[in-house]
Amino acid sequence: MRPGHRARASRGRLSPLTTITLVVLAVAVSAVAGGFAYFLPAAATALQETGVAVTVASPSPVATTLFSPSPSPSPSAASQGAFTVLLLGSDDDSKFSADHVLTQSMILVRVIPATKEVTMLSIPRDLYVHLSTGGSGKIDGAYSYGSAGAAIATVEQDFGVHVDDYIWVGLLGLIKVIDAIGGIDIVTSNPVMDDYYPSDVYSSDPYGFQRVAVLAGPQHLDGIHAMQYVRSRHSDLQSDYGRSKRQQQVLQAIRAKAKQLAPSDVPALATAIGGELKTSIGLDRVARLVPLAASFDNPDAIHQVLLLPPYARSGAPGGSLTPNWNLILPLVHQYFP
Amino acid sequence: MMSKFLLAVGLAAVMAVTGVSSYVYLGSRQSKVVAPPQKPTAATPRAQAFMLPGTIYLAQSGALYSFSAGRFHQLTPEVGWTQPALYPDGNYLLAVKRSAFFSDVYVLTLYGGVYNQLTNNAAAPRNAWDTGANAWSFYPRLSADERTLWMSYDGPKYVGANYYDVDMAVWAVTPGAPIRSGRAWTVANSYTGGDMQPVPVPGGIIYTKYTYDENGNRTGQLWFTSRAGSPGRALTSTDASCAQAALSPDGGSIAMICTYQKQVSYLTIASWNGSSLGALRTMISNQLVAQPAWAPDGSGIAYLAPGGPAAPFQLWFLPKNAYNPPAPPPVPTPSPTPGGPHNGPLPSPTPPAAPVAPVVKPIQVTFNLGFDATSPLAWLG
Repeated sequence: MRPGHRARASRGRLSPLTTITLVVLAVAVSAVAGGFAYFLPAAATALQETGVAVTVASPSPVATTLFSPSPSPSPSAASQGAFTVLLLGSDDDSKFSADHVLTQSMILVRVIPATKEVTMLSIPRDLYVHLSTGGSGKIDGAYSYGSAGAAIATVEQDFGVHVDDYIWVGLLGLIKVIDAIGGIDIVTSNPVMDDYYPSDVYSSDPYGFQRVAVLAGPQHLDGIHAMQYVRSRHSDLQSDYGRSKRQQQVLQAIRAKAKQLAPSDVPALATAIGGELKTSIGLDRVARLVPLAASFDNPDAIHQVLLLPPYARSGAPGGSLTPNWNLILPLVHQYFP
Repeated sequence: MMSKFLLAVGLAAVMAVTGVSSYVYLGSRQSKVVAPPQKPTAATPRAQAFMLPGTIYLAQSGALYSFSAGRFHQLTPEVGWTQPALYPDGNYLLAVKRSAFFSDVYVLTLYGGVYNQLTNNAAAPRNAWDTGANAWSFYPRLSADERTLWMSYDGPKYVGANYYDVDMAVWAVTPGAPIRSGRAWTVANSYTGGDMQPVPVPGGIIYTKYTYDENGNRTGQLWFTSRAGSPGRALTSTDASCAQAALSPDGGSIAMICTYQKQVSYLTIASWNGSSLGALRTMISNQLVAQPAWAPDGSGIAYLAPGGPAAPFQLWFLPKNAYNPPAPPPVPTPSPTPGGPHNGPLPSPTPPAAPVAPVVKPIQVTFNLGFDATSPLAWLG
């Protein structure tokens, strides 16, 4: 071989060390790229639906004169890292314009990581309160008038609590979440029967009715039947209160099932709930809260609070409930200092 | 020394394979808890699975299955079938076919063929606009003489009543006769869901009555009544919250589940003398037990329970020795040592230590299935 040709050939080849380095680098990069592609849908959903900015309106003048302004978290609670989240569950969106839905379920959740205690306070959706947007009405209308900010401000001004974050889930969201985690195990205390249950999910007529019969006893529920269980209230003497109890049962069942999930389940879960969940909790805090939630395994440390009579009684305008603030506020402040 | 071109081609191939493999590997690491249950016919029990005597009939995803000699057979398509019960002579099955708005009781052959329809609970076409004009029939059972069909029924319904309180009562009707010729045997408590799962016993029926306790909590109780319209009497307390009674083959015991108003359910057994229950004995307290059924030969109790935490329900079997251990052998009576006169107290032989009863654990019969835990098991000997 002529000297010039040999030199050109040498420039077109790499040493073994360089070759090995390149191969290792290529394997590493492509493995990470494969993982990135796998978790991309989850990351996109997480970025889109977490950390949603919320503007909490200042309390309405009427409310301010009646109730004390929202207190700041007490130093002792803050030192323990305690926080309060408002869970909002909405009726079928198709009956309403976007983000102007009623919140059929409102649950205040107080989490104390230091003691691993959780308190869930169900707020009756028919409670007649001063709305942060002005005037009075059922508390489930607050969200429809001013989105999550109005719902938070209403709860803060009326109950005298500080809400750190909110999580909103649509009807389809709950169904999809439960289906995505493979269903939940529940012990239904009695048959839940309803001849006039709204047929507004997967239906062309959101104002139609269907019959529901969720039979009693231990059972594995899929999303649609779990939704029927938590949503039906016609055949419950305790009406919305009974429904609140069932909602808390299902929340705990979801938590129990979520503890069994693996990180690889996250993309499918994110795809399922896409568009059906919004939260002000940032992605970084979600990442910290997931292992925290899994460590809460003492059922005795989960307190369930319902505002049953005499905390609220029927007879207010439009079938709403009149709150007895003299009883409610001390109870609330006991659990939500 | 490798040429740059060949290296580039090789690296591209390696990167493609590694990237795809990484994606596929992560997908394969999804937990099994989110996987849907398999069809029973697709997942027969493991070879070493415990062999149950006779044939068990059960429901999954709207289809009825028989389970015999370790193999499942699908009897019906997945169109709402549930709650199988055997004719007392063992020649036919009763079962419920449930649709979105009503459910009816049918007679099926043991191979799943429809033999007869016993109820007509769909609203008349002219009333179809009113969902409340339909009715449910659940938990059918036949009397020992096969002349009375017992079931939970929420009729008769009044068109346009818009009545929100839907409570099931236990009805008795001649099989195949119109429901208007039947009689309500029980009076359900309002806004509770009513009376469910009747079990014919000599002299009457045992059923589950749902009620509100003194604290306003809804709970279940076993009741016994001996005649139509009689209030009967409670067999268990509201605190115990028991349901899903099953009579043993010898008629002397009742198996049931009790939840104690919590998100648990214990397999519980009590003696039955024809009118009252003995003390409740908890046999299983660490599983979410549902629908206990006695083996016809008395060898144990089958039931449904999750195969893991928060998982779908599988078939389990509790051998008889777990709740009725064999009597220990008699302890020999000490006798004096032979050999003539003896001063002082007589030495007594050391009695052998009482044998330690082996702990009999329940046996998981199926895996990865998802049986309907609100549907009783029917077990043919």
